[in-house]
Amino acid sequence: METLISILITLGASVIFAIVGTVAGCLLSGLDRIISARMQGRVGPPLLQPLYDVRKLIAKDNVAVNGTIGTYVVCALVFTFIAGGIFFSGGNFLLCVFVITLAELMFVMAAYASRSPFSEAGAHRETLQIMAYEPMVLLLAVGLFMATGSFDLSVLPFLDQPILFSLWGIFLGMLYILTIKLRKSPFDLSYSHHAHQELVKGVTTEMSGKTLAQIEVMHWCENILYMGWVVMFFIWGNPISIAIAIVAFILIYLFEIWIDNNFARVKWQLVLKSTWIITLVLGGINITVLAFL
Amino acid sequence: MEMIGFLILFPLVIAGLLVIFRQDKVRNVIVWVASLVIMGASIAMVAMNIGTTGTYYMFDSAVIDWASIAISVIVGAVVIFYSVKYRRKWVLALAAIQLVGTLVFEFGFAHDIVCLRGLYVDSLSLIMTLIIGLVGSGICIYSIGYMEDFQAEHKHEADRRPRFFALMFIFLAAMYAIIFCNNMIWLYAGWEITTVCSFLLIGYTRTEEAIANAFRQIIMNMVGGIAFLAALFYMALQFNTVDFLDFIVIGTLAPALVVFPLTCLSLAGMTKAAQMPFHTWLLGAMVAPTPTSALLHSSTMVKAGVFMLIKCGPIYAVSFGPSIFVILVGGLTFLFCSFLAISQVNAKRVLAYSTIANLGLITACAGVGTAEAIWAAIFLVIFHAIAKSLLFLCVGTAEHHIGSRNIEDMDSLFERMPRLARLMMLGIMIMFIAPFGMLIAKWATLVTLIGTRQIALILMLAFGSAATFMFWAKWLGKLAGIAGEPDNVEITVHKSEWFADAVMVVLAVLACALIPVISNYLVEPYVASVLGMSIQPIRDENLYLSTIIVLFMVVMMFGVLRKKTKAKKASVYLSGVSVDNESRVFLNSLSQPQEATVRNWYMDDWFGEAKLTPIGTIICYILILIAFVWAVVSTAGLTILL
Repeated sequence: METLISILITLGASVIFAIVGTVAGCLLSGLDRIISARMQGRVGPPLLQPLYDVRKLIAKDNVAVNGTIGTYVVCALVFTFIAGGIFFSGGNFLLCVFVITLAELMFVMAAYASRSPFSEAGAHRETLQIMAYEPMVLLLAVGLFMATGSFDLSVLPFLDQPILFSLWGIFLGMLYILTIKLRKSPFDLSYSHHAHQELVKGVTTEMSGKTLAQIEVMHWCENILYMGWVVMFFIWGNPISIAIAIVAFILIYLFEIWIDNNFARVKWQLVLKSTWIITLVLGGINITVLAFL
Repeated sequence: MEMIGFLILFPLVIAGLLVIFRQDKVRNVIVWVASLVIMGASIAMVAMNIGTTGTYYMFDSAVIDWASIAISVIVGAVVIFYSVKYRRKWVLALAAIQLVGTLVFEFGFAHDIVCLRGLYVDSLSLIMTLIIGLVGSGICIYSIGYMEDFQAEHKHEADRRPRFFALMFIFLAAMYAIIFCNNMIWLYAGWEITTVCSFLLIGYTRTEEAIANAFRQIIMNMVGGIAFLAALFYMALQFNTVDFLDFIVIGTLAPALVVFPLTCLSLAGMTKAAQMPFHTWLLGAMVAPTPTSALLHSSTMVKAGVFMLIKCGPIYAVSFGPSIFVILVGGLTFLFCSFLAISQVNAKRVLAYSTIANLGLITACAGVGTAEAIWAAIFLVIFHAIAKSLLFLCVGTAEHHIGSRNIEDMDSLFERMPRLARLMMLGIMIMFIAPFGMLIAKWATLVTLIGTRQIALILMLAFGSAATFMFWAKWLGKLAGIAGEPDNVEITVHKSEWFADAVMVVLAVLACALIPVISNYLVEPYVASVLGMSIQPIRDENLYLSTIIVLFMVVMMFGVLRKKTKAKKASVYLSGVSVDNESRVFLNSLSQPQEATVRNWYMDDWFGEAKLTPIGTIICYILILIAFVWAVVSTAGLTILL
């Protein structure tokens, strides 16, 4: 019975995340565009521009290279909602990682399914990016377990001190791969918002209309989820942690926008090499210290 | 106990029948019926003993003792015969050492040792029974159709199929002997049969390459066999027993006493489980017909190796040197072979590297040896067996219908062989993506490793898993491609092949969906029986959540994915210079039509065999050397102390 209730809670949370995450992600994306524009000396679009874009996409004709792409994208979107539901309802962090990886895989499959040279190139790069950041994400899960004694996120608000104190190395490593996860330049190899450095449109070359709208919504929700992954370092059993977490959220996101606007896309070799070295050094040292000190 | 006898003897009888009746039709009937009977008997065996914590039968038989000696002689004679025929003096030397050693042991040392508990059943044997009985005999059924096509392709060669099928069934019998015998001399006889059977199966085609690879296999596995024999000598001399249970009990109570035999058994298990530096034999085994590979990789041979290591798990948990040795070799094998798989374009080689990598993980888990680690190792064995056999069978069928085992040629398989492609996709997903089976087992592994503070292994797992994602995802992507509507070429696939595939798929989906049930009734009773306690490393609610997602994915793949959509059909974007969109042809800069092709990434400069294999091999050789020096020194030190 308890098992059933907790599954239902997770599924319910997924539905709520589908709504709240979408709204929050949309606003975040709008702010992102305004701030980026200001950094570039432009005024920028209105706050709700991302919403207008998606609304327009939904109104478009239903055109597709083949039928399977849409199916994969729906799967990717659903799994993103579930991953968010697991995370924000205080579920198991590793399960959250697994489900979001499944969503990523569906995204890659959608690109492969079109057999379009451009989107396949995007799919290869996306796969490479996943390989680059996956070790760090797994080490985050390991660190979380070592710091709190379980993968369960529900223990975070009851801790004596934020996990940041024990997981400093993993936090820095996560900041590094966050740029890949948020699809920000210089690590936006597969699917970029910067037209000048993109190979047609990478993964989404063959997607249009509703399918592309779903990708956009997925991307919003992903951003919220991944920001959650870094903000959780600042949560502990003290009400003030909420304020600190919000400040951390703002600072980290501003930092990401700043990186996005100041670095040109790099080659895949550098992405793979640098992320793995950082994971090995920062993550490796951090968990070794945790285990033996 | 009668069931044990039946499961071991019945396949032997069938093998005899297959040698006698050589007509195609008769053989097909025998194989169908026998395989179904073995499946039924295996299920019955499990149903009768479910939840058992281990039943040991008082059974001692002079006939079987003599049979074991006869088997050793026959095995030795077969190997000596072939080594003389093909002039391999190293093989001859090893075979002679082993034969003489075995005879000296049987008549000189072991003759007076009585092992009262000859046979046993515990929950681990039951799990292995299901794997051998369902997956193994499924592969036998599959072989009927496959070998017919194979023979048609090799018309000018002699028809050696009767021998092929006989060997497959002998293999099953030997596996049953390994999992039910508590008398280690009998177990050793089964162990040697699997070695020589796979030798004969790998050399089936008798091409130069096949013979060379068969001999590589026999050299490596005879080194393991001799190590096994050394362990037997030590046990007989020191403890005056050949009882496996006694050995495990002595080992867990006084690990210092068993350092040497445990290291020997570890080496034996690792050679069979194709751990680095012995992994090359499993790669070489690819020259054999695909059902052989499927059998070696999924339900037999390599699983005998890890079965041995898992059995020794409780001893590793309390010992120091052998445990570190096994953990490091397993972990390094997982890491290196996952990297190496990225650089492979041949589907069977990718599967082989992935098998070796997963066996490495199982080995490492066995080396940790705690309750959670053994839980994880057993689930890795289960899912690996099912998914890998499904994949091999699919690759075999695809090879006969598209004429290639190159992954690049599997482009758009989804359209050409829609059913097969989706079976293959399911198999791949089980291997590498959560919440399908393998990843759940890896999750448990991670929990274990954190609990036991195995930092090096955690890092290897993190990087190895990332590489695993890469090589499976790009293969999966190749299959998923859809362009135009090529002819469906899967109409000519044999019924027997579909049947075997169906068995694997049903098993796969059931196993993924029923992890908590399998854990309750099969895995936990075993772990509890050997360690006195059992923990399920993952909570039920998370497992059921995984189940929901798995079922959702299966429905999507088999129900929704190929439905026609109402969407207006568009062409792919070819920079506005396309000539023929269906076949991706565009006008190049010389105004010539050119097809746009995309190859997957193989990253040979980073993960190539030339670069990584020597490093991994040398490290593992050094580890083995250190382990044996440690074993000899600590044993000698102990002798002096006492």
